[in-house]
Amino acid sequence: MEQLIEQLKSQIIEALNFEDMTPADIDTDAPLFGEGLGLDSIDALELIMLMDREYGIKLADPKAGKAIFQSVRTMAEYIQANRTK
Amino acid sequence: MLKTESYIEITPRSVMLNGQAITVQETGDKMLVELYRRYAGDYPKFFKMDTLSRLGWIAAEILLKQSAISNQISAIILANRSASIKNDTDYLATISDGNYYPSPALFVYTLPNIVTGEIAIRHQIQGETSFYILDHPEQLEPIILSTLNSKLSTILAGWCECSAKDEFYAKIQIWNN
Amino acid sequence: MVYCIGHSILSPLGIGSQANYDAVQAGRSGLKIYSDRFADVEPFCASLFDTPQEFVPLCIRSVEEAMENVQSDNVQCTKDNGQWIKDTVFVLSTTKGDHLELLRPAQAIAAHFGNPNPPIVVSNACTSGVCAQITAMRLLEAGLYKHAVVVGCDLQTRFIVSGFQSFKALSPEPCTPFQPDRKGLNLGEAAATIIYSSQPSAVRVQPYWTLEAGSIHNDANHISAPSRTGEGAYRCLMDVLEGCTPEQIRLIGVHGTATQYNDAMEQVAIERAGLQDVPKSMLKPYFGHTMGAAGVLETILCAMQIKESGVKSQESRLIKMLSGFGGVNAAIRLKTEC
Repeated sequence: MEQLIEQLKSQIIEALNFEDMTPADIDTDAPLFGEGLGLDSIDALELIMLMDREYGIKLADPKAGKAIFQSVRTMAEYIQANRTK
Repeated sequence: MLKTESYIEITPRSVMLNGQAITVQETGDKMLVELYRRYAGDYPKFFKMDTLSRLGWIAAEILLKQSAISNQISAIILANRSASIKNDTDYLATISDGNYYPSPALFVYTLPNIVTGEIAIRHQIQGETSFYILDHPEQLEPIILSTLNSKLSTILAGWCECSAKDEFYAKIQIWNN
Repeated sequence: MVYCIGHSILSPLGIGSQANYDAVQAGRSGLKIYSDRFADVEPFCASLFDTPQEFVPLCIRSVEEAMENVQSDNVQCTKDNGQWIKDTVFVLSTTKGDHLELLRPAQAIAAHFGNPNPPIVVSNACTSGVCAQITAMRLLEAGLYKHAVVVGCDLQTRFIVSGFQSFKALSPEPCTPFQPDRKGLNLGEAAATIIYSSQPSAVRVQPYWTLEAGSIHNDANHISAPSRTGEGAYRCLMDVLEGCTPEQIRLIGVHGTATQYNDAMEQVAIERAGLQDVPKSMLKPYFGHTMGAAGVLETILCAMQIKESGVKSQESRLIKMLSGFGGVNAAIRLKTEC
């Protein structure tokens, strides 16, 4: 799980173009949207695409993302339970 | 009468502000990042932008910071020859055969007018934003002239062209009547 | 102000403005489900030409149609009329042009008609069709040209459909603008042309309509999400209402894409401008979102609707509004006489 969390942090930094940021800068339990990383609606769509590309998870309803994208930890837990690759 | 209050010119190797050269170490897209760090630094969204938006955004940033009339800007009018072709090409790579993962973050920049929106957001300009595709920068002047009126009297306008990551040219001016 | 002396629409619903108007009146829609039009793309609902069209020939055909129905006794729009074409500027409204090329097709269209002036492409996202009319009006009012041919066109591609799908913006079924359960937009294809002139015809021939005012405003809020307060759209509406009252507006042609955010934003802007009691025209359920063509096509059909339903020799006004990516909003006000 910890390995997946680290990998996921790197993928998020890469996919969302967080220049000047390392995996260590992202708090595993901090909110991704709003106060934490301050992601917006386009970032949410990009995370949906990331889950499809890297883990073979298709999320048809963007509203379902709300619970999954609470933090890096919730995202990793969802991936672990649902990944197809 | 139509006059230019100030202007900035950016090529992949040089930056001129009102005719004075600004010293830069880097070239191309890296130079735009260098300028961002020197003149802004507080807007991480810059790194999410495509090169066309970075170019127009940093040009506007430098130009508006030194102008005494930047708070009067009521329109942003930019033009170029190749629309959003550099970013269109980047988006196409995400939908290539056998590797089909369309990127929404790239798709949103496949419109040239997004750069005018990025500048409007940064400077909270709720006036007009327009983008034109023209053969030559000179063809923008009659458009600017016909746009200037009593309501739109101070305009940020100019050429903002990017055909590849390190191939671009901007000449943006503040026009005033 | 400038005068519309000719117009045309080519869409999957028909050839010519009247055919398209009649199709809408009869409740016909071009929307269908496509499951194998483009590789990899999920099935989508859209209004597409049965036979895939070429961008430049389609635009040329649309301009020719518009020229054929020119109503003006001081303009002879024939290919042989050298003076008319010399005084004319071509303004193309498109988002993705001919396979991502925008300038070259505009030059090819202008060259086809022997037009010597540099064409202008307006690429202001989904507001382009209204912005192009505003640009034409300004150039004519400044006396730089006497006539403007405004062509709006977009054709659907794998590029566009995949992008809108990645945005989760497409409805899997025919769209339902302003309905609470709306599920998103449908894409569409069309070419539409409006010919504007700065010269009012002699009294015996009426212009189709008069373009009286236009306005463009940015929300300065987000590049892909509309402002929740409808700030830009509200400012556009207030600008075009100058010189008349909300009671004089008989119709608002809304953008009405049927995405949750767009329609909610438009409703807020319309209420803030005091226009909540004005009937709305929503055309996306018939044509889908025709992108660069939308502002031109929808302006024509709104004007026809007002004209055909009006009282003889009565003046009527309507507003056409649009919003798009980049936070941009645009509106125009037309006057028609029945």
